[in-house]
Amino acid sequence: MSRIMRKLNQWTAHLFDLPQDIVSDVPRVSLIGNRKLFVENHRGIVHFSNENMRLSLAKGELEVTGSELVIRGIWTEEICIEGYITEVKVHGMEDAKP
Amino acid sequence: MKPPLMGKIRGYVKIQIRGQHTEQLLNLLLAKRITIWDVRRTDDHQVSLFIIVPDFFRLRPFLKKTGCRVHVMERYGLPFSIGQVRRRSFFVTGAFLFLLGLYMLSSLVWTIEVKGNESISTEQVLAAAHEEGIYPFQWTFRLKETEELSKALHAKLSSSSWVGVTRQGTKIVIHIVESTVPKSRKLNNPRNIVASTDAVITSIIAEEGKAIVKPNDRVKKGQVLISGALGSPESPLIVVAKGSIRGLVWYEYSIQSPLVSKQKVMTGQSIEKSYVQLGQRRLQVSGYGQIPFSHYEVKTEFNDVNVGMLTLPLKWVKEKIMEVQIVEEAQEQQEAAQIGLRHARTDILAKYGPNARVVTEKILHQKTENGKVKLKVMFEVEQSITEEQPIIGTS
Repeated sequence: MSRIMRKLNQWTAHLFDLPQDIVSDVPRVSLIGNRKLFVENHRGIVHFSNENMRLSLAKGELEVTGSELVIRGIWTEEICIEGYITEVKVHGMEDAKP
Repeated sequence: MKPPLMGKIRGYVKIQIRGQHTEQLLNLLLAKRITIWDVRRTDDHQVSLFIIVPDFFRLRPFLKKTGCRVHVMERYGLPFSIGQVRRRSFFVTGAFLFLLGLYMLSSLVWTIEVKGNESISTEQVLAAAHEEGIYPFQWTFRLKETEELSKALHAKLSSSSWVGVTRQGTKIVIHIVESTVPKSRKLNNPRNIVASTDAVITSIIAEEGKAIVKPNDRVKKGQVLISGALGSPESPLIVVAKGSIRGLVWYEYSIQSPLVSKQKVMTGQSIEKSYVQLGQRRLQVSGYGQIPFSHYEVKTEFNDVNVGMLTLPLKWVKEKIMEVQIVEEAQEQQEAAQIGLRHARTDILAKYGPNARVVTEKILHQKTENGKVKLKVMFEVEQSITEEQPIIGTS
């Protein structure tokens, strides 16, 4: 996506008051208690173990730490992780500060 | 996660993937839109996951690309159940045969009920039904339509005015409405009506035949009263004589009536004894001791011993012993005579029918002897005096 296109997208989103995750390629993460984590708009699995899991995103990575982690379901856009989640970290998006 | 839509039908397996690049394999599967679920890390180089069977057979190229090996752990769903069924062929055939047997038994005619028949015997109806193919252990699908059956049965049973056949599961009900046939008359032989005893005729009504005597005629026993031969004596027409004739008949009664009447009177005192009876043997249970009454009557009551629906061969016997007093009552001579006459009158009515009527009674002789009243009475009774006499030898 070119720089101009991104600017244009952001501008239209702002104009129509649309949520950010719909127009731009950012992940939407929903955590239910400490047991379930839904990640939309992921780009695949980088690492997967019972305690630690790293998902690649359009930009950067999402790291999930916990115990007994299991991929309950996985689809091209969405992933559902279950287990005792203790930490969710986002890497490689530090430059996207407002 | 639960298996996807139709997962149970298409079948799914739990597989174990071994290799260095399991994450890469998972990403490849994602890209190819192969559905997997419940992915679990079991070892450093080992991942277990669920996959539906058709997708499992598409795995091979990706495994080769990533250098992973696959091992099937568990199988679920219909394709595998079918395999299991094949191994248990006897069980399956048994279950099938059971259902088949149930169906066959329920499509048999088990009972036939015949309703509403009075003069037509049930056997007759069943025989006619048998000819039409209705009999126990017949297949219900081989039966004709019920309307057709009722028509055929109606044709076979001539004295029925309507026949209905209905089937209720394994039961056939044949409902019969009989046509009302007038009662056939009793056939009688040609006969005369003669006098049963010596009498004086009071009334004679000849329904059929020729009345020979008139009222106030004196007749002897065996005399023809209504003749069954009509017409001239040379070529008579023989009929069944019928009619009612009443006449006066005399009876002489000797009556004895005691002057002292004895009557039993209950005093109200009673004791009870109970026994258990088995066959002819009795065992007394209660009411031991001598009977304290000089005169008594015994009333015995038998009760069966039941246990639920079962009747035991035991009997529970209760005896009630009631004290009786004999009361003697002296009677007037006249009173005793009246009692004697009353007995005689009831005796006449019992002997000569309820139509008999005592016209006059005459005491011929009366004397008292040994505490008894002795009477000789003449009763004049009006009664029916008909007797049938067959006419033989004429045709």
